[in-house]
Amino acid sequence: MRSPATRSPRGAAVLVPRGFLCLMNGWALAGTTFLASGVEAVEALTIVLAVGVARSWSVALRGTVYALIVLALIVVLFGPLLRLVPIEQLKLVVGIVLTLFGLSWLRKSILRYAGRKALRNEDAAFAREVSVLRAAEDAQADKIALITAFKSVLLEGLEVAIIVVTFGAASTLALRWSALGAAAAVVLVAMLGLALKQPASRVPENTMKFVVGIMLTSFGTFWTGEGLGIAWLGEDFSLPVLAVFYLVVSLVLVAAARVPRQARA
Amino acid sequence: MRLAAVWNFIAGDSRLAPAAVLVAVIVAVVMLRAALPSTAVAATFAGVIALGLAGAVFEHR
Repeated sequence: MRSPATRSPRGAAVLVPRGFLCLMNGWALAGTTFLASGVEAVEALTIVLAVGVARSWSVALRGTVYALIVLALIVVLFGPLLRLVPIEQLKLVVGIVLTLFGLSWLRKSILRYAGRKALRNEDAAFAREVSVLRAAEDAQADKIALITAFKSVLLEGLEVAIIVVTFGAASTLALRWSALGAAAAVVLVAMLGLALKQPASRVPENTMKFVVGIMLTSFGTFWTGEGLGIAWLGEDFSLPVLAVFYLVVSLVLVAAARVPRQARA
Repeated sequence: MRLAAVWNFIAGDSRLAPAAVLVAVIVAVVMLRAALPSTAVAATFAGVIALGLAGAVFEHR
């Protein structure tokens, strides 16, 4: 998504009004960061809940808040800093990073759909973490619990922070859309955690990762191409086309890589 | 933090996917310098990345 100030006419036919496309891509940005943050927040929630159940809720909350502050600082500091880099070089670097991220997420979810990689089990992760925390010595237990909550939120959130910052590198508007999507997911998952007080094991994590992988790869391909000087047909309209292309390729790969039922048993 | 850990964090544990992205960039640059139509460059670029994804899925490590 290009900001109006950096957009240059290339003579390519724009089939849909530009304002609509900017809005559509804004929603696509927010949707991608919403899903990415949702997946990571569910994984972090499992550990934070384990800390709360095994030790204390105040420790779990403190660890979470400290990590969220660090993540917010990363976004606030590095987001505007990236905009000091010339836009074409920035698009190239950001595009390559997003493509690599996207391919990594997509590969994992394709392998999980195909039965070649185990699906993540939040209940098992929760039980494992609770037993480790309960086994800790009392004198050190709160410190270990605080670090566990902090580390899990920070590590799970770091990937999302990088996605938000790289998405936001395009323009202030893009940073707002992507930060909005991420914040909405974190709030939603936190509310879910407070209400359930147990791991959100029914959240379709792999489907969310699959969609995020497709979106990241599409945005990454588009921006890398722009950075290289490729004039995409229909400009921003080629983003949904790329998403459909990668979706079809991924579905074919899931079918091709699928492990037969007999082999799984 | 080690450089390998940062790389693994960004690109995951596949070797083929990052290699495909590099190949796609090189091929696109060559095609653009040869003044080939941008639509052909765009299609080839996305196609090479998709091939990289396919390679990464079947990459046994």
